[in-house]
Amino acid sequence: MRKSFPVEDLARDARFVRVPIMERITDPRNAFQEQAGSSSRRAAGRLTPERPDAPDAARALMHGIFVGEIQALEGAGRTCWDFEVGAGDEEGVPEVPFELKLDMARQCWDEARHCEISIKLSDHMGTELGEFSENTFLYEAACNPDPVLRLTGVNRALEGLAIDVFNTMREFGELAGDPILEFCEDWMLADEVTHVKMGSDWLRRLTVNDKDRQKRALEFQRVVDKLFSLGGFRGEEEDSPVRLARRFRELAGFKEAEMDTLAEVAREARSEMEAQVARNKIAVTG
Amino acid sequence: MADSKKPRAPFAPWDRREIPGIFSVEESARRVGHYKWIEMRLFEVLGGWVATVPELDVKLRLGTHCYHHAWHAELWHKRLPELREMNPERLTAPPNDELVAFVEAMTEPEAADLTIEKIVGAYRVLIPAKIAAYTYHLNNTSTITDAPTIRSLSFILQDEMSDWRDGEMMLQSLIETEDELQRAIDHQAKLQRLLLAAGGIAGPGTIGDSYANDQEAHA
Ligand SMILES: [Fe+2]
Ligand SMILES: [Fe+2]
Repeated sequence: MRKSFPVEDLARDARFVRVPIMERITDPRNAFQEQAGSSSRRAAGRLTPERPDAPDAARALMHGIFVGEIQALEGAGRTCWDFEVGAGDEEGVPEVPFELKLDMARQCWDEARHCEISIKLSDHMGTELGEFSENTFLYEAACNPDPVLRLTGVNRALEGLAIDVFNTMREFGELAGDPILEFCEDWMLADEVTHVKMGSDWLRRLTVNDKDRQKRALEFQRVVDKLFSLGGFRGEEEDSPVRLARRFRELAGFKEAEMDTLAEVAREARSEMEAQVARNKIAVTG
Repeated sequence: MADSKKPRAPFAPWDRREIPGIFSVEESARRVGHYKWIEMRLFEVLGGWVATVPELDVKLRLGTHCYHHAWHAELWHKRLPELREMNPERLTAPPNDELVAFVEAMTEPEAADLTIEKIVGAYRVLIPAKIAAYTYHLNNTSTITDAPTIRSLSFILQDEMSDWRDGEMMLQSLIETEDELQRAIDHQAKLQRLLLAAGGIAGPGTIGDSYANDQEAHA
């Protein structure tokens, strides 16, 4: 088996349909969506039970979580396989400490459980597997050839997003009076805090004497963070679909300043998206 | 209880543990190093295979089992310094080149339509070989001096037995045609030959020698 497994070859059964994330974001049909925060816009604004589209929006988000869990499992699994154990001080040989691999194996188990939970939850919510499309951005971040960048992009940026999403879904479960949803999200949230902390700890340990590598890893994290803040999907505004979960991020090793930066990135992404929606509108309606 | 000062047997009448064991500290460390090496190869490949397998249930089981074997590797890693090997990496090694060749062949399948071969290698060949080696170790080491190894072996064997059963059931559910059955048999035979040449996961003598006289059996 190869040491690096390309995203195109990611194995799925016939139920799954893949749509690239940029294709979704630049879909001209977005022109007909109102600005983020408007109550008339489907799948935007804060997820509350009062929204007429709440059941579908929650089902879509849940399915997105499910495919994200599969890719998180696959990414952690590849990190077990792709790198040799070693000090990582030899030129060009990607090596990682033994304990990092143990963490990734542990994450495999956790993500496999998250898939199981998501499948049961999707069923509970009336969703069929494959009903919504899958984008593979999470796994793409997990293909980074530098293990430090890989862990920073996946465990800090994407699993950090998972903290925000699970917290949002947990609150939604509470508001909607769905104890099963609330219960599952609460447990998954605990695991994700652990995974983000793994990312924070390994970033610190592996770059303690290599500030340049640390800088590159944090830059990669910012790119990933920005992509997933697109369209104001995640932010700190009252109407952000997914809110920044500062308390849980802090437990996972995020500093206050980092979370402020993330909130800023989200604000920028939101205004860029609003401008894009306006441009689309002109392009479509003339 | 008549009198708390009345002397009692230090080993209760139901505690039949005995001192004799066939492994010296050095021999135990050598074997434990081989165990760690093979557990690492197994958890790494199970993790790597997750992305290559389209069958959703199999994908999730591989992810779960990946951690089991990583935990076994961790237990052996922690046992090595307790067996006077202060540099665990030194003994984290295969017993011979033949076992390396076996692992290379077992970890080779990658394509999405080779799930049968992947599961056969891990669950019909390697895991049964590990169960054999661990059982031999458990039954032959000193029940008093080597209690820590016995404790780890007992936990690990529980995992191995239940993972083996999971793997066997996945395989039985995947094999639906004569052709698929033949693929499983052919791949198993290929890997079994390589493992035979290696003499087991700890090399020749992995499970003793049934043809030697009593004194030589475990040499
Ligand atoms: Fe997860
Ligand atoms: Fe995670």
